[in-house]
Amino acid sequence: MFLHQNVAFFALLFMSAYIFVSGDVVNLTASDLIDKSGLVRTSSSAAAAVVNSPVLKPAPDLLFSLNLLSNFPEDLEISEYCNELLHIFGQRYVTYVNCLVPAARPVKVCQNCFSSFESLNDTYENISSNDVGPGNVSCRDSLLRSDRLMLVFLLFNNLKDIWTKSNCDSCIIKVPHFNLTSDTLYFLATLNRTLSCFEKYQQGNRTELCTNCKTAYKGLNDLYSGMEKNQTLCIDIEDAMNMTRRLWSKNFNCSSPREETVAVIAVSSFMLFLPIIFYLSSFLHSEQKKRKLIHPKRAKSYTSLMNIQDKMS
Amino acid sequence: MANITKKVSWSSRTDESGAAGEGTPLLNGSEQPRLSRQSGGGSIFQIGRLSTVDLEEEITSDEDSLRGRPKEIPHNEKLLSLKYESLDYDNIENQLFLEEERRMSHMGFRCLEISRWVVCGLIGFLTGLIACFIDIVVEQLAGIKYQVVKENIERFTEFGGLSISLILWAVLNSTFVMVGAIIVAFFEPIAAGSGIPQIKCYLNGVKIPRVVRLKTLVVKVCGVICSVVGGLAVGKEGPMIHSGAVVAAGVSQGRSTSLKRDFKIFEYFRRDTEKRDFVSAGAAAGVSAAFGAPVGGVLFSLEEGASFWNQMLTWRIFFASMISTFTLNFFLSIYHKNPGDLSNPGLINFGRFESESMAYNLYEIPLFIAMGALGGLLGALFNFLNYWLTIFRIRYIHRPCLQVMEAMLVAAVTATVSFTMIYFSNDCQPLGPEHTEEYPLQLFCADGEYNSMATAFFNTPERSVRSLFHNPAGTYNPLTLGLFTLTYFFLACWTYGLAVSAGVFIPSLLIGAAWGRLCGILLASITANGSIWADPGKYALIGAGAQLGGIVRMTLSLTVILVEATGNVTYGLPIMLVLMTAKIVGDYFEEGLYDIHIKLQSVPFLHWEAPATSHWLTAREVMSSPVTCLNRIEKVGTIVDILSNTSTNHNGFPVVVQITGSDEPAKLCGLILRSQLIVLLKHKVFVELARSRLTQRKLQLKDFRDAYPRFPPIQSIHVSQDERECMMDLTEFMNATPYTVPQDTSLPRVFKLFRALGLRHLVVVDDENRVIGLVTRKDLARYHLGKHGLEELQLAQT
Repeated sequence: MFLHQNVAFFALLFMSAYIFVSGDVVNLTASDLIDKSGLVRTSSSAAAAVVNSPVLKPAPDLLFSLNLLSNFPEDLEISEYCNELLHIFGQRYVTYVNCLVPAARPVKVCQNCFSSFESLNDTYENISSNDVGPGNVSCRDSLLRSDRLMLVFLLFNNLKDIWTKSNCDSCIIKVPHFNLTSDTLYFLATLNRTLSCFEKYQQGNRTELCTNCKTAYKGLNDLYSGMEKNQTLCIDIEDAMNMTRRLWSKNFNCSSPREETVAVIAVSSFMLFLPIIFYLSSFLHSEQKKRKLIHPKRAKSYTSLMNIQDKMS
Repeated sequence: MANITKKVSWSSRTDESGAAGEGTPLLNGSEQPRLSRQSGGGSIFQIGRLSTVDLEEEITSDEDSLRGRPKEIPHNEKLLSLKYESLDYDNIENQLFLEEERRMSHMGFRCLEISRWVVCGLIGFLTGLIACFIDIVVEQLAGIKYQVVKENIERFTEFGGLSISLILWAVLNSTFVMVGAIIVAFFEPIAAGSGIPQIKCYLNGVKIPRVVRLKTLVVKVCGVICSVVGGLAVGKEGPMIHSGAVVAAGVSQGRSTSLKRDFKIFEYFRRDTEKRDFVSAGAAAGVSAAFGAPVGGVLFSLEEGASFWNQMLTWRIFFASMISTFTLNFFLSIYHKNPGDLSNPGLINFGRFESESMAYNLYEIPLFIAMGALGGLLGALFNFLNYWLTIFRIRYIHRPCLQVMEAMLVAAVTATVSFTMIYFSNDCQPLGPEHTEEYPLQLFCADGEYNSMATAFFNTPERSVRSLFHNPAGTYNPLTLGLFTLTYFFLACWTYGLAVSAGVFIPSLLIGAAWGRLCGILLASITANGSIWADPGKYALIGAGAQLGGIVRMTLSLTVILVEATGNVTYGLPIMLVLMTAKIVGDYFEEGLYDIHIKLQSVPFLHWEAPATSHWLTAREVMSSPVTCLNRIEKVGTIVDILSNTSTNHNGFPVVVQITGSDEPAKLCGLILRSQLIVLLKHKVFVELARSRLTQRKLQLKDFRDAYPRFPPIQSIHVSQDERECMMDLTEFMNATPYTVPQDTSLPRVFKLFRALGLRHLVVVDDENRVIGLVTRKDLARYHLGKHGLEELQLAQT
């Protein structure tokens, strides 16, 4: 299994994934980003570039010529400082995305990428903060809200969504410095133990595996249930637990078997038999309720009758 | 038809003979029934009855009764019970009443109007509180029960011994249900069932004994908690309507007879006319608390009791409904630690139907209609089975201890069947991220998955309905749903009519939601791109509507209730179409469940209209005759004798004047009720006493109101031998302007008068204003349109 080949393998994986990403499907976004940051560096009119590049991308020649034309007067240009921030933001963005993609399956987005998210978050906070940088400019207005698209905001928000959805905050501790919580680390250790147990007995008899790894698995399961109650789960843990459970139940078939069918059937048929006896006996023994018909009707009941009777007497 | 005309001619002949026999004064105190029974006149009367029953048989029955043995027959639906009396919806306009009304200033009427609003507000508030109480207690107790059983099952899944869990579950269920059944069967049998039939009868004008008492309310509330927690296939919504009605009847009187507390307020409302208006407001408040449907509540009252209605009353009832819903919301929001949030109405919350896939298209309408027809069919089957079961219960399981045992057995079997279903189900589903399943049972499923049958069975019915409506497609597999529908159908059918307080709304919704969802899944699988439009939740809703409509056959109010409960007005059209179809199809086979139960309880219920083929009947055939009349100045002894005659439990007596010294028969001059006579006797309002004690306080309307609604029986009033010789002057107290009809009035016309005015007695007079008969509710209710034309119900002692 892949789960126990942990940290050492990790850096390697990361590198290869980086190459893989920039050369493949995600290529478009990633290279697009790089492209953009390149433009930012070469052209002094970054804002114009950002706005224009999506529209003009198909014709790079035209783009350059237009870029030269589209210099705005000094006061509308963004400052060096903001430009710098934007550049850093781009770089960190790429780093984070590059980290996320290879961590998609099995899910390790929290363990692997929390640091890159933190640095991205820092940059964004810098951009969006009210603080005025050198040159007396706030980058918030110029970078975040000067156009309808609000690309920087949009980009960051997407990633922020991923972070929130994966619930990584419950696995990350922020003080003293960013790291996985001790709960998470403990869970990962227990998980490793269980998985190595699985591996050990995998070749042999399945029932042997079920009995021998039961304590480890149960421990893991209980730990997980406890964390579930405390709401300290993030997607990494949930996914790891899901996979382990699936292994345990489906692959190794260690779920509880349906064994007492006979007893259950016996008890339930007894129960089902009771009403039959009840209804039969009440049908046979209970006295049927009879209704006394009140005398005739014609003219009603006894109003008429009694009065006739009275008269007759 | 030939047969009938013959009978009619007989009956007119008997009338003449009856009239001929009236030579003697109408009243004389002596009672010698045995002698008189031999009279030829009597037997002619009996032959003259209108009945489809074979004549020969009738004669033998008469002979039986001649020998003093009244004929006994097994209980059936074609009986009218004597124990039900009418309510006096018509104001008794005697001199006292008119005087009081004349004395009241304009301001006085305004104050009355304001106090009506106050009462309605109180009704809404208290009903909401009761709903809230029931909801919270059920949730807590059911939570504990399911938690215990769940832990037990989990423990035994691993180590074996699941049959013990089964027994534990069954025993827990039976215990709760036993408590519920004992309080109902031994303390207040009228609290059994949903209470909707009873309230329907009350609004129709039938006085069901003890139906709006405080004790009934207490038993109802505790009973419904026990039966829902006991895991029966029941809901707590129907009983809410009854509870609301009891609250209304209690609050509006400003006192509690049971607790012997009189707050001396709202005294003006102490009569049937006013009380009925408040009871309809209470029923509406109950509906609106149960479903979070204020408008639906108003329409429910309108649909069930609409013959007496006006705009201001509607508006007040709406006020009560609104108050009730939002009281419930407010207190539930506190309970859910979310105080001040008023947007989560209703005991049963269908959740929100707002997602894209919940939209429907024109081409789905025929499908909905087909589902409506299916709902009608299944509803008719449900009612048919329940009808026979109820007859069996009335005939054989009438002893309270048997009823308790039966309820316990049903509870145990419900648990057993549910457990077996869950045990053998192979339908495992992964746990959802937001844990909509309250008590997921894993059993033999893989870790991280739960048994999908258990979400349907191992849960309170309301939650099951909600998960059927809202769980995403693929949560249930068709086999699970099919089995669930089948078992729950029979369980619910078996459960309704037990001696526990419980409603049928939720089980119906649940059955319908299950097969509706099944339809949705099947539709999605037979059409290639079906999954795009056939959202199972939507079809579950339509199925639920169809099934409920097929069982209870309510129309307008049910549509509005469902639309309000889903919170989506666009579903109005499909729900309406579905309910329409379900009603049409269902009515073809069998009546609605509530109507069946009303019939089986032998209640003289007046429907909207007289039976269609009854135009040839006239008041002469319908009326009771001859009539026990009183003279305007009557001897106390005579009155006491008439009232204490146990075999004639009359309630209204025409008052006549005899012109002294002439042979002319007495002429009608008023109508007086038993309750009034009793109050008069109690206060000894005798002519002689009034003369001797000039200072004696004049009897006021208040004295009548204080005795309302539980007038003492005549046996409790002591009248000495001397007093028997006194005279009573009824002039002041009788209703001097009773409604009368000539004897040739057709039955539908008489019926309309009764239904529209809420009459209790209608005097039939001849052209010289002589009393020749009296029409009461039972005289009209006995005609009904059966399978073979017009049939006549028999009166019976129950």
